[in-house]
Amino acid sequence: MVRSSLGKAAATCLVLLPAAFAAGENPCATCHREEARSQPHTAMGIGIQLPADQTVLKEHPRLTFESNGYNYAIERKDGLSMYTVSDGVGSLALPIRYAFGVSAQTFVFEYKDHFYESLVSYYPSANGLAITMGSERLLPHNLVEAMGRETSGEEMVSCFGCHSSGGVSQGTLTLESMKPGLDCEHCHPGANTHLEAVSQGKPPAAPSKLGVMSAEDTSKFCGACHRTWDAVVRMRTWGELNVRFQPYRLANSKCFLGNDRRISCTACHNPHADLVRDEASYDRNCLACHAGTSSAGTALQKSCPVSDRKCVSCHMPKVELPGSHSVFTDHQIRIIRAGDRYPN
Amino acid sequence: MKIPARLLVFSIALIARADTFTDLAAQATAARETNNIPRAIALYQKALEIKPAWAEGWWFLGTLCYDSDQYQIGGHAFSEFVKLDEKVAMGWGFLGLCEFETGEREHALEHIRRGLEIGTGIEPAIEQVLRFHEVLLLTRLGLFDQAMPRFMPFVRRGVKNQTLVAGIGLTALRLALLPNEVPDGQQALIAAAGQTAYLWMVGDDSKTEPAFKALLDHYPKAPGVRYFYATYLLSFRPAEEAVVELKHELEVNPRSADARATIALLMVRAGASSAAFPLARQAVQDGPQSPIAQYTYGLILAGTPDLRQAIEHLEAAERLDPASIEYHMGLASAYSNAGRHEDARRERRRSIALARESDSSGPK
Repeated sequence: MVRSSLGKAAATCLVLLPAAFAAGENPCATCHREEARSQPHTAMGIGIQLPADQTVLKEHPRLTFESNGYNYAIERKDGLSMYTVSDGVGSLALPIRYAFGVSAQTFVFEYKDHFYESLVSYYPSANGLAITMGSERLLPHNLVEAMGRETSGEEMVSCFGCHSSGGVSQGTLTLESMKPGLDCEHCHPGANTHLEAVSQGKPPAAPSKLGVMSAEDTSKFCGACHRTWDAVVRMRTWGELNVRFQPYRLANSKCFLGNDRRISCTACHNPHADLVRDEASYDRNCLACHAGTSSAGTALQKSCPVSDRKCVSCHMPKVELPGSHSVFTDHQIRIIRAGDRYPN
Repeated sequence: MKIPARLLVFSIALIARADTFTDLAAQATAARETNNIPRAIALYQKALEIKPAWAEGWWFLGTLCYDSDQYQIGGHAFSEFVKLDEKVAMGWGFLGLCEFETGEREHALEHIRRGLEIGTGIEPAIEQVLRFHEVLLLTRLGLFDQAMPRFMPFVRRGVKNQTLVAGIGLTALRLALLPNEVPDGQQALIAAAGQTAYLWMVGDDSKTEPAFKALLDHYPKAPGVRYFYATYLLSFRPAEEAVVELKHELEVNPRSADARATIALLMVRAGASSAAFPLARQAVQDGPQSPIAQYTYGLILAGTPDLRQAIEHLEAAERLDPASIEYHMGLASAYSNAGRHEDARRERRRSIALARESDSSGPK
């Protein structure tokens, strides 16, 4: 009876779920195989690297840097990465508890019951350490200040809220239940309830379908971590500093139509897969609107007189984010003319 | 200073013989320079009858009238002046100050702001006068959320007088009055609320909390007190604690649209839009003139298929308080979802402009 009321897919779940649980696998993979298999290996799926899995630091077992008269070293030993700062007289060494990010990494450690953000971070473009973005102007007066910046509770809630699952509950840190990266429930609230219902043979209430959201609502959804348009205005982050806040930049594009899913975040990016860096792969998304003619033979949006290949290489330029040692794709899609300044 | 009508008639009689504009203008200047205000006013009026395009004449007539408390005539003079030269900040400023005195409050606010926006040529002391009147007008018009931060520069500079404290108190308690309109029975409450808000604004944490406790002890049932305390709690305590106070506010002030809408807004931010819906709807019914009520209801509706109604309420909020960045942003998003792309872009441009303005403007 259960099978007939749930349908074939759910019935399959019912059979396969116990095995997935028993094998310690992600039970969502029973039905959502592709997504569950690829997502944990993406930047969003990883989010934070814990001491045992700090691959960047494993690959670079000794990193050093010097700034403002302080020497920094990160050394890997016995499964831990130690962050040491010295001033020639004394030194301070702490284990790195959390390495935030996957490519560029900023480190978080605990000192006297407070969280500190490392004053130096790892940047792939530098193939080593450099001053952490936002801390460039800090002039440390002692080893503790040189070690890092003491963070506020609110800041940590924000960091763990976007880089982990279960690390924040009702606005407070719950690190005892924290899992690095975003799990299914993080973006699909109700996924766990859905799973529980399926595993018990009950009619499952499906989490709300994110794919049906408008471009505007998708921007808000993704913007919860990548910053919404409103959040950027509230923070008053102007100039190139806002290039990394893609929902803000995208909504400033002339071609952003909030009720048209062809321009939504997920029209171009699959959140369950790694970021695609092949510029030509995005052409089909641009041409979905700028194809010249529709099936009825009428013109859609203007087509590009220069090329229909690698649209993003001209219309979404790469912009260096000040202080980040990183280059970001500007999501404010536009026609760029010589001498144009960064639009805001 | 009021000028008796008889004196004005006498002054006009004296100048009856002077019939050319040049003579009248020269006599008006002489009268002004010798501080013979009634005669100067009469001469300027006469000269302006002959040559209404004389901007300088309107200016001096306006300032003489303002200085002698003849705000109706002064307001007319400045309105003629700005028609001739709309780029003079002080013209708009004095026009607004005259309108403030004659009770034309919306116009007063608009014109004072126009003067401040132009900015150039305003002496610092006059700028402070304009900004002080601006903030009093915002409170009088019920735009409390805009008003409160505008008191801050005065507080930072250490300005403290009875009128300022009363203005802050009225804003804190969300009473749409001017300091000189406070009924006798409420003056102590307003002063206590103003003093408490002043301590909070100064950042004197050790005295602020006790001041709030004293205010709550003395005036536990005064409308606005609990709401005020809730806004204080919201700045550093979990939202739940503020909600408790807002519910107390509703016990003593059951039709407080602001309190009900704030509870609803906090629920929306906590992801409970459905539960917030009836509260927001009630808030709009109780206080259609409350911007926060209109905004909150519109914001909730924007998450439903009823975008048309959402936009109506968000537009109402924006009309009631056009300086709120939040209302423009809420409206932009609703327009965007409704496919009104040009409107959405306009609202986004306005939001950015307001945000940039608030970065750089305001008395320092």
